[in-house]
Amino acid sequence: MKLAWQNIIHDRARFSVTVLGVSFAVFLMVFQGSLLVGFLRAASRLIDASDSDIWITARGVQAFEFGTPIEGRVREMAAGIPGVLETSRVCMAFAVYRTPNGKQQVVALVGADRNAGKHFPVPDAPGSAEGMSPDAVLYDVSDRDLIQVTAMPAEVEVNRHHASIERQIEGYGAFLGVPFLFTSYRNASRYMGVGPEEAMFVLLRVDKGYSTAEVQQNLRQRLPEVDVLTRDEFARKSRTYWTIKTGAGGAILTAAVLGFLIGLVVVSQTIYANTMENIEEYATLKALGASQAFVARIVLAQALICGAVGSILGLLAVVPSIGYAKSLIPWIYTPWWLLLVMVVPSLAMCSLASIASVRSALTVEPGRVFRA
Amino acid sequence: MPNHFLGVEGASVSFGKREAQVRALRGVSQFFERGTLSLVMGPSGSGKTTLLSLLGCLLSPDEGTVFIEGIAVNGLSEAERTTVRQKKISFVFQAFRLFHSLSAIDNVALGFELRDAALPGRMEMARELLVRFGLGDKLNQEPNELSPGEKQRVAIARALAGNPPILLADEPTASLDAHAGRNICQILRNQVDDDGRTVVVVTHDPRWREFADRTITLCDGQIEQEEKNL
Repeated sequence: MKLAWQNIIHDRARFSVTVLGVSFAVFLMVFQGSLLVGFLRAASRLIDASDSDIWITARGVQAFEFGTPIEGRVREMAAGIPGVLETSRVCMAFAVYRTPNGKQQVVALVGADRNAGKHFPVPDAPGSAEGMSPDAVLYDVSDRDLIQVTAMPAEVEVNRHHASIERQIEGYGAFLGVPFLFTSYRNASRYMGVGPEEAMFVLLRVDKGYSTAEVQQNLRQRLPEVDVLTRDEFARKSRTYWTIKTGAGGAILTAAVLGFLIGLVVVSQTIYANTMENIEEYATLKALGASQAFVARIVLAQALICGAVGSILGLLAVVPSIGYAKSLIPWIYTPWWLLLVMVVPSLAMCSLASIASVRSALTVEPGRVFRA
Repeated sequence: MPNHFLGVEGASVSFGKREAQVRALRGVSQFFERGTLSLVMGPSGSGKTTLLSLLGCLLSPDEGTVFIEGIAVNGLSEAERTTVRQKKISFVFQAFRLFHSLSAIDNVALGFELRDAALPGRMEMARELLVRFGLGDKLNQEPNELSPGEKQRVAIARALAGNPPILLADEPTASLDAHAGRNICQILRNQVDDDGRTVVVVTHDPRWREFADRTITLCDGQIEQEEKNL
């Protein structure tokens, strides 16, 4: 395999072009993959943040952002079902926010009972900072420019109601370009004009002695007018809606696939050119008794070396780039496994790219060695 | 009973189709004895290289039989013919055909690897071969840093890696000056005298006559003349 390595480093310009092609493809795939993973994560972020086992929504609600009011009796009936340990309410609606300097901005207002979840952003949740009023409003630090708050507490208006912004949080930034504001359920329902007994989502925790599926089934029989979903089912439904039904996920996936294809073409071209430049050497190898497998191994090894080096460089470039992109796209997210997983398609890309080259090297006539 | 160690019997080879067809060899029968150095001479287009390709298992005749170490190789598959080349035959080319990205010692070590991938101590054996050919100070030079005579000596060292019994050379001195050419002639002669190899050299170079056991002259794809030299 020394020949494979020496061949590629001997022509450094071509090696650089190949590696650049692979790096570009890996960069694009990881970046788009991070957008997709981040988008999926953001699409169900608030659902995942709850501690509930079951979510009850109005019939046909596709995603958290499109909740519609359900009657108060639903919560009361659900609370009476055997196995339901605890209920809580969540509401969400788009509202008009007036900044401290008088500008107006549409926001996604989310209100929740304090027992919705330890990680659910609610001002009076257990473990919240002391000194914060129960009706305080929270916003994500990444939305600072949209919310335009310079000091806290800041007196603002939400749907023409007085509100007090008292704290910044992290990890719940704008997902659709509209910033989230979080407050207590009581406060949010007042801003939204929703009746105090109504809710958009009723969240249930199942008692230890009961199975979630059993309680879900029971609820579905007793409450046929609403959708009863486990937390994971509703999270999946929400993600499916935003990624597939809106086409947003398709666009991101298409860009990732395009990155792969562009990389494939660039790498194919350069590996093929490299093989054809050395075709006489492959003929010599075959004349000297090299097996087809030996020749194929050399071409494939060259492709994989380019793939490995290109992948490493691509990953080295993409990690800081995504860090920088977070300031513009707060929900972009790169899990560690994505970096590892993307090495596989890049090596597969290089292997695929080498197929035409392997064919040329294998079919070269060894008899041509006598042509001077 | 002829000595069928290496040779062709009734071999015919054509290239091209219909009007463009060229008959490179026309029913040639010729055998080369073990442990001899034979020259194949003749004008351009006489079929010398085609004969060498047949002997090297690089080409199959349209008609006739090719014998390598007494075995007819016509019916062998491509993979089997590759194995025959790997075990029995090596080549020396006019254009050297060294691997441009490898050093001299790596070129020779690759020759060992191609014959036996599991062979230990390839680098040491390659070094010994190069030292034997006076290239001990050029081990790590790449081909483009060597003179033509040095390149051909590296190519011969690579050809001898793994100790093949048959050495086929195509115009091995055509690119060399008189001194270097004579040196190569002597090296190949030594392979016959010292190691009992069978060497066939295709050449236009008359200097070879004094090193060869016999000379076969081809013309228009047929043997025109055969003479003993030594």
